[in-house]
Amino acid sequence: MSATAAIPVRERAGAARRDPRALVLIGVTVATILLVGLVDHGFMSLQNLRFMVLNCVVLSLLALGQTLVIATRGIDLSVAPVLGLSAMVTGLMAQTGGLPLLGAFGLALAIGVILGTLNGLLVAKLAIPPIITTLGTYSLYSGLIFLYSDGTQVTSVPAAYAALGNGTVLGIVPIPVLVLGAVLAAIWFVIGHSRFGRAILAIGNNQAASYNAGIPVTATQVGAYAVCGVLAALAGLMFVSYTGSATVTTGTGDHMELQSIAVALIGGTAISGGRGPVIGSVLGALFLSVVLTALVFVHVPPIWYSAGEGLMILIAVTAGSRRTA
Amino acid sequence: MNDVAPALRNEVTARRGRTRRLPLGNWERALLALLLLLTAGLIAGVPGFYPGFAGFLALTENFLPFGFVALGLTTVILTGGIDLSVGAIAGLAAIVMASLWSGLHVSIWLSALIGLLAGGLLGLVNGLIITRLRTEPLIATLATSFIYGSVGVAIAGDNPPSGFPDAFNRVGTGAIGWLPVQIVLFAILAVLFSLLIGRSTFGRRVVMIGYNTDAARYSGVRVRQVLTLSYVISGTMAALAGIVLAAYYSAVRPDMGDLLLLSTITTVVLGGVSIFGGEGSIVGVVIAVLLLGMLRQGMLIAGFSDMVTTMLTGAILLGAIAVKNLFAGRGTGLSTLLGRFRRSGTAPAE
Amino acid sequence: MKISPISRRSAVRAAIASLPMLACIGLAAQAADIDTAKRIKVAMVPKLIGLSVFKANEQGAIAAAKTLNINFLYTGPVTASAQGQVDVFNSLIARRFDVITTTSNNPTQLAPSLRRARKAGIKVVSYDSDVAADARDFFIQNTDYAEFGKALVESVAKYAGPKAKIAILSSTPDATIQNEWIKALTAYMTATYPDMKIVTTQYGQSSPSQSLTAGLNILQANPDVTGIIAPDGAAEVGAAAAVEKLGKTGKVFVTGCSDPDSIRQYVKSGIIKASPLWDEVKEGALVMYVARLAANNAIEPNGSFTAGDLGDFTAKDGVIVFSKPLVFDATNIDQYKF
Repeated sequence: MSATAAIPVRERAGAARRDPRALVLIGVTVATILLVGLVDHGFMSLQNLRFMVLNCVVLSLLALGQTLVIATRGIDLSVAPVLGLSAMVTGLMAQTGGLPLLGAFGLALAIGVILGTLNGLLVAKLAIPPIITTLGTYSLYSGLIFLYSDGTQVTSVPAAYAALGNGTVLGIVPIPVLVLGAVLAAIWFVIGHSRFGRAILAIGNNQAASYNAGIPVTATQVGAYAVCGVLAALAGLMFVSYTGSATVTTGTGDHMELQSIAVALIGGTAISGGRGPVIGSVLGALFLSVVLTALVFVHVPPIWYSAGEGLMILIAVTAGSRRTA
Repeated sequence: MNDVAPALRNEVTARRGRTRRLPLGNWERALLALLLLLTAGLIAGVPGFYPGFAGFLALTENFLPFGFVALGLTTVILTGGIDLSVGAIAGLAAIVMASLWSGLHVSIWLSALIGLLAGGLLGLVNGLIITRLRTEPLIATLATSFIYGSVGVAIAGDNPPSGFPDAFNRVGTGAIGWLPVQIVLFAILAVLFSLLIGRSTFGRRVVMIGYNTDAARYSGVRVRQVLTLSYVISGTMAALAGIVLAAYYSAVRPDMGDLLLLSTITTVVLGGVSIFGGEGSIVGVVIAVLLLGMLRQGMLIAGFSDMVTTMLTGAILLGAIAVKNLFAGRGTGLSTLLGRFRRSGTAPAE
Repeated sequence: MKISPISRRSAVRAAIASLPMLACIGLAAQAADIDTAKRIKVAMVPKLIGLSVFKANEQGAIAAAKTLNINFLYTGPVTASAQGQVDVFNSLIARRFDVITTTSNNPTQLAPSLRRARKAGIKVVSYDSDVAADARDFFIQNTDYAEFGKALVESVAKYAGPKAKIAILSSTPDATIQNEWIKALTAYMTATYPDMKIVTTQYGQSSPSQSLTAGLNILQANPDVTGIIAPDGAAEVGAAAAVEKLGKTGKVFVTGCSDPDSIRQYVKSGIIKASPLWDEVKEGALVMYVARLAANNAIEPNGSFTAGDLGDFTAKDGVIVFSKPLVFDATNIDQYKF
């Protein structure tokens, strides 16, 4: 503890709560809900609110992992194929081999740890720039999906999986939201209150200084990519449980890697590292989900949805940076 | 190992001395050797890869559009930025061109020119968002790529134009004698970019900003202008790629540029350009364009599937950069710094 | 370790696939009018590899290729892009294939490459999704567009009623075959059910997750919709999943054109009452017959021919309609595994 105290850590746990970006996001999200809700009351219905939250769970998990990696001044483009591979492997084994849910969690964990650690080792040990590393592994991991699936796809999942993706606790709180909440709490704790988290932020701020201060730079970097891999794989399991389907293009086809980076940056993560506003990342995903649903409710022609998304990203990012600047 | 290091460094320095006459660094030489070996191997070992000289040259038509994007993207990456919107710009520029031609009956060449200008304009928007709104290039161009993509889909409608005049299609698939038009175009632009980056004031400033933005600013470089211009260049080259693709396919589609982005980043980095900016040469990128293009065409003709080819490209990227790091790791610090100033001509006055 | 479940699965698949193959061998002897003396190389290039619908085509094609003395290759891009397909075509031209068969990502971009193939003496047969007419020798159309449009409308009209508010969930705004079907179903709808109304058209980009989100949004933003027509594999599944999640089973009826494996659970739960398609496996076999006949120059753009046990077909201006729509419902879906 005393060793890390000397490191200039800009962000501490409480800072995420005080981050103006988080307040901006909450404000804009609530305003959108109220404004669109006035036009169409259906938008404010409990059911619609619930699905807007549910729809952002997978992306939130990815964004949380991405936040950790970006905080070390890295980036992970391979989250999309890791998600796809995890969804495909757990889904197919459940569909044809009756893999129990607990086994699926174990399998996703293994996939995430192995692929994430490989990313981390390439970045930390071979000094390959993160964007290049994960661009390369993106191709490799995508290939694994094709190799594994061999043209089959997930078309339904056993009841236990469906319950994980669609069930509720006490008929109120959706299980995926609970899962996300638990992960968010864990990552929030790690980033703000653990040695590992402080090391991540320190490395992102100044890698050389961190090294000189005795922070295990390599281990921390590998750890960050491994956690990111695990969250991407968990996102894959949640995806297949929620949608009941997975194909070879799951994850990569939707450019989930770019979406997750966008969401993390909307949430206030700085691409230059050293900041890990985890709550902002989840708020960013929620904001995007609300905006995209709102576009449907106010009858914007579908071809403009992606423009709307781009515009919202720009507004969110520039609005926040003006305030912090 | 420590005994070897000084000797190696001397050798590196000696080679650098020669590179002033030949514009080839170690990395470029290695790439070039690899390209020659690979091409020779493919010609000898893969039936159908060399169907005569003209047919062999025509293979490049399948991948040179990536090269046009790579030249522009190199400029941006050298500044330490990135342009994720190149694919969307390529598609949108091609659609603007095609729609002017088919909808308003503007001549195809004038339309193509307007398409190019549109690309520059879209790049300008990127540049202004980045420099005036102080947005990270990554997020700014990601956002604009969504927006440009939407605009492309909207203009294209449900039945995008196709069937351009043959004279125009020759830009994509025609040849002057045995020399494909695309090669001529690419060669001219490669020389121009090489001069621009390696010999011009603008090029030196691009590299300086990428190497150290603050230092560049203190030494009087108008950083915002140079940055904005680099995105305009990137946008224009992306538009050119889109237009060449339109001629190659004699058709346009809003998603036709989607594959350009990730492959082109791979190419630029394999060409020796540092993703953090401030280091790299056009020669390296040009060789990397040919190397990756020939490799892909060769592997496909040899009967490998697209999946294997894609996976192998990823592995090669990782392996190549790892090897490059291993060699460059010896001569860190001062020698790298010296090499940088040598390569960019005169050292800027501090 | 990861390999074993795959190989077990593919062994089962191979066993299933070999059943019709054995039948074909038995019948091939009767179809002696097809000259199979010379072994030819035929490639099948789907929109992208790794999707089960295209894999079903491959299943049928492999079986037929054996009886027709065809050296068969199934290859395609890993992204659903024209550029990827063109790269594959170019390599097939260089490798001197006799016939290229393909379902195209879009009709225009592939044309120049396929024209080059034809110029090099390669026969081109498109199926499922057509390319420009002068870029191929024959096109095997799944079903007649008008008939398929009718089948789609009837698949919801019977359950949602003739005055239903309908939503359309397609793949992308410029998807050729989807647009043909939407045109056909709109025409049939206005003629037959004038009180039926299409209230919104959304797109799922052929992605399961985007289709699901689009399906949820359609139903939330248009609570009066009682039928969703989703003429795209991923879209139908996404729409059905959305109905299930919102608890609207029995109130909203979905149809589209997914393969039976993908929609089986929704057909059984009653969200999808009827869903038209065609027999993808048999279609794959027909593609091989046409490829063989085209290579033999034994088929005319206008005329009829016999394709072994698949029966007699008629070509009109190079277009061969494969079959009438095959409507899956709770009573017959378990007979089809693909």
